[in-house]
Amino acid sequence: MSEQIEKAFQKQPGIFVNAKAIGKKAKTKNQRWYKDVGLGFKTPKEAIEGHYIDKKCPWAGMVSIRGRILTGVVMSTKMKRTVIVRREYLHYITKYNRYEKRHKNLAAHLSPAFIGVQPGDTVTVGQCR
Amino acid sequence: MGISRDSRHKRSHTGAKRAQYRKKRKFELGRQSGNTKLGIKRIHEVRVRGGNRKFRALRLDSGNFSWGSEAISKKTRLIAVVYNASNNELVRTNTLVKGAVIQIDATPFRQWYEAHYAQPLGRRKAKKDGQVESEELSKKRSNHVKRKIDSRKEEAKVDPILEDQFATGRLYAIISSRPGQSGRCDGYILEGKELEFYVRKIKSKK
Repeated sequence: MSEQIEKAFQKQPGIFVNAKAIGKKAKTKNQRWYKDVGLGFKTPKEAIEGHYIDKKCPWAGMVSIRGRILTGVVMSTKMKRTVIVRREYLHYITKYNRYEKRHKNLAAHLSPAFIGVQPGDTVTVGQCR
Repeated sequence: MGISRDSRHKRSHTGAKRAQYRKKRKFELGRQSGNTKLGIKRIHEVRVRGGNRKFRALRLDSGNFSWGSEAISKKTRLIAVVYNASNNELVRTNTLVKGAVIQIDATPFRQWYEAHYAQPLGRRKAKKDGQVESEELSKKRSNHVKRKIDSRKEEAKVDPILEDQFATGRLYAIISSRPGQSGRCDGYILEGKELEFYVRKIKSKK
């Protein structure tokens, strides 16, 4: 497939794809492992039906999402499989009883299950480490 | 030794240089790499954190390899390291690491196959008049065993690429254990898409 770009064979570690084809019972369906990350997040269709191999994908990889869930706006998608997310917030200055705008940038992994992510999109980011 | 695994000596995520505020701690220690080579077995034991042990294999010559589609494992001799995705140097020096593609001796697997299915595997088709049929093939079998072997007949088909490898006596396998940690070189025989992938890589390197 086209997803074998690296020097080592990309595969999901738990799946055994070389079972002998016993005549009629040849399993032609895409053998894929995926999981439900919990917290009410729906697992994308592309994660179940797609062919990509990504060990850092929350649904088809070996990471568990736990801890904080943050949201932000995508600033750049130029990196391979990661996006920069900009989170804006207001910081209160007590002396003047007023707020000031501040922001923090956050690099987050973008699973290949999400296609067509553009700068300006709002995303939800889950903590994994 | 001085190898430490801390992040305090590295620059932070923003690029700021971190000041050193404490000495190296024992729990951050790192050890020299084992660089397991092919040769007569030589394994050193290391006492690690918590009083546990790690077996640093310095030289290994055999390992337990599984044939996935037949669901069996046999102890086999290692012959040579053939491909390493990370570093060609490790191939040249025959260093055994997890994920290295190696060649292993095919005879234990062929013996098992011929005993299990009573069919020849990887035998040269060339006319050899003096060739004596292997002991497993021509063994006298009881009726019960004969019936069992007959019932396995349809499943006895082996992939042609694998069969060629049996003919040469060397199978391609990949190491899935960590010899420097467990002291063993275990793995599985490459089959199917994975085998094609690595065979292509090896050929394009030659």
